[in-house]
Amino acid sequence: MAGARRLTAPPDAGHDTGDTLLVVRAAEGDEDAFAALVQGHAPVLIRLATRLLGTVAEAEDAVQDAFLSAWRRLPEFHGQASFATWMYRIVTNRCLNVLRARRPVVPLEAAGEMPAAEHATSPARITEARDAVRELREALDLLSAEQRACWVLRELDGRSYEFIADAVGISQEAVRARVFRARRCLTQALGAWR
Amino acid sequence: MSASMPSAAQAVLIEDVARVVEGVPGVAFLKPGLAARLRSALGRAGAGTGGPSTAGVRLTPGPHAAAGWHVDVQVVVVRQARAVEVARAVRRAVEQDLAVRFPGRPGSRVTVTITGQV
Amino acid sequence: MTTHTDPPEGTRADGDDERLPCGRPLSQVWDDWERQVSDPHSATCPHCRHAVRDLEQLETAVAGLREETPETSAYDAEPLTRRVMDLVRLELRPGRPLPLGEPAEDLWIMETVAARALRSAAESVEGVSAGSCRIVDADGPAAGVEVRLDIHAPAHVGLQELAERVRRRVREAADRELGMVIASVDIRVTDLVDSGAENREGDTA
Repeated sequence: MAGARRLTAPPDAGHDTGDTLLVVRAAEGDEDAFAALVQGHAPVLIRLATRLLGTVAEAEDAVQDAFLSAWRRLPEFHGQASFATWMYRIVTNRCLNVLRARRPVVPLEAAGEMPAAEHATSPARITEARDAVRELREALDLLSAEQRACWVLRELDGRSYEFIADAVGISQEAVRARVFRARRCLTQALGAWR
Repeated sequence: MSASMPSAAQAVLIEDVARVVEGVPGVAFLKPGLAARLRSALGRAGAGTGGPSTAGVRLTPGPHAAAGWHVDVQVVVVRQARAVEVARAVRRAVEQDLAVRFPGRPGSRVTVTITGQV
Repeated sequence: MTTHTDPPEGTRADGDDERLPCGRPLSQVWDDWERQVSDPHSATCPHCRHAVRDLEQLETAVAGLREETPETSAYDAEPLTRRVMDLVRLELRPGRPLPLGEPAEDLWIMETVAARALRSAAESVEGVSAGSCRIVDADGPAAGVEVRLDIHAPAHVGLQELAERVRRRVREAADRELGMVIASVDIRVTDLVDSGAENREGDTA
C-alpha cells in the first residue's frame, strides 16, 4: 500500500558491538581492522550512494573517497556517533558535493530526452508502471542537490527527518521543506499534478 | 641536506646497501617507497624488477670525510623471525659492507626500524 | 563551494506552499498523509483526496525505483575494499617508533607493528578480543616500554586470572616474536561479552 510507511530502521542495527573494537584499532593504525570495517559497511553505503547519484560507478567512486577520508579522520573520531552513522554522513556529504558539481544539468524541456544511464536496454514491452519509474528517475535530475539528497534519504532509504537533518547538517525544518518541494516537483513532473 | 658525495655515486652506494639488507635472512623487503607502492596499487607488473627498492635506505655522510656514515634502514620482516634478531643482523651486515667498502673510515652508525611484519 | 543552493535554512515549508481550493495548504495535506492522520474534512474533501492521490501515484513509482537498487547482500564488497586498502597503504601516516632490544641499540619497531603482534597474542586467550593497544616508551629509569591494552573479556570468567593470562601471553610475544623489553602491561577490561551468544546480532531488544 502506498500509504503505509516503512519503519525507519536504526542505521546501526546489529553492527555496533563488533565495530567498537575495530574502530579503535583502525584509529590506531590497524589496517586489517579498517579493511574489515570497509568490507562490512560498503554494501549499505554503496546502496545509499547509488540512490543519491544514480549509477553504481559514481557511487563506488564516492564511497571510496569517503572511506579514504574516514581513514584520515579516524584518529579524531571519538565515537560520538556510531561508525555507521558517521560513514553515512560522510558519504551523504560526498554525494552532495558530486551533485552540486553536476549542476546545472538539464533544462526542463530536455529532461524527457535524458538517456537513462544503465537502463538503456529496456525490454520491448514497457509497462505503464515501469514507465512511471523511468520518468521518476529522470525527474530526479530536476531537483536541486539538497532537495534530491533529502528526498532520497527520506523516500528511498526510509530515514527519519531527524536522522536526515543530522546527516545533511541542516535543521529538521529545512529537511521537511526540501522533501516537500521535491515531492511537489516530482508529482508535477510525473504529470500527475494539476 | 645535500651530501658531500656526488649524488650518482651515492645512489650506487644506496643501491648496494639495499641489496645487502634484502639478503639478510628474515628480511621480507625494504620499506617500499611511494613509487613502488603506487605501482602495486595500480596493479602494474614489474614491481620487483630492476633491483631492490631503495626508499627504505637513507645514507648520510658524517660531518667530515673522516667520519663514519649514518645509515638509516627501514625494513619489513617476516613474522616467523624474531624482529630484534633480524634488526641486529641487518645492522651487522650493513656495518660489514661499509667497512669493506671504505676501509679507511671509522665505523658507521646504523639505525634499523621495523615498519612491518608479513 | 556553493554553486546551487536552496533558500537559506529556516525557510518554512510553506514558503512556496500552495493552498488548495478548499483552503488547506498542500504541505499540510501531504504531511497528514505521511503521518497517517486524517480528519472528517480530509476524508471527504475532493481537493484533498486529489492531492493525496497524486502523492500516492508518486509513491508507487518510488516503490518501483526503490526495488531497482539491488539488495545490499548482492553487493560484492571485495573489489572496493581492495581498492580502498591500496589507497590507505599509500597514506604515509606517521607512526611512533619504539625501542627494540637493549636500551642503546638504536633498533626500532613502529608502534602499529608491535601493537598488532601484542593484540594477536592477547586474542590467543580464548574469548578475548583486543581493542586499543598503546605502547609508550617509559622514560623513567626502568628499561622497557609500557603496554596499555583494552580487552573485551568473556563473562563468567575470573577476571583477575584472565588478565594475568593475557598479560603473560603479551609478555611472551613481546619477547619471543619481537624482542621488545616490556616494563609493564596494563590490562583494562572494557566490556564483558556473553560467551554463550557471541553473535548477538539480530536479537537486540
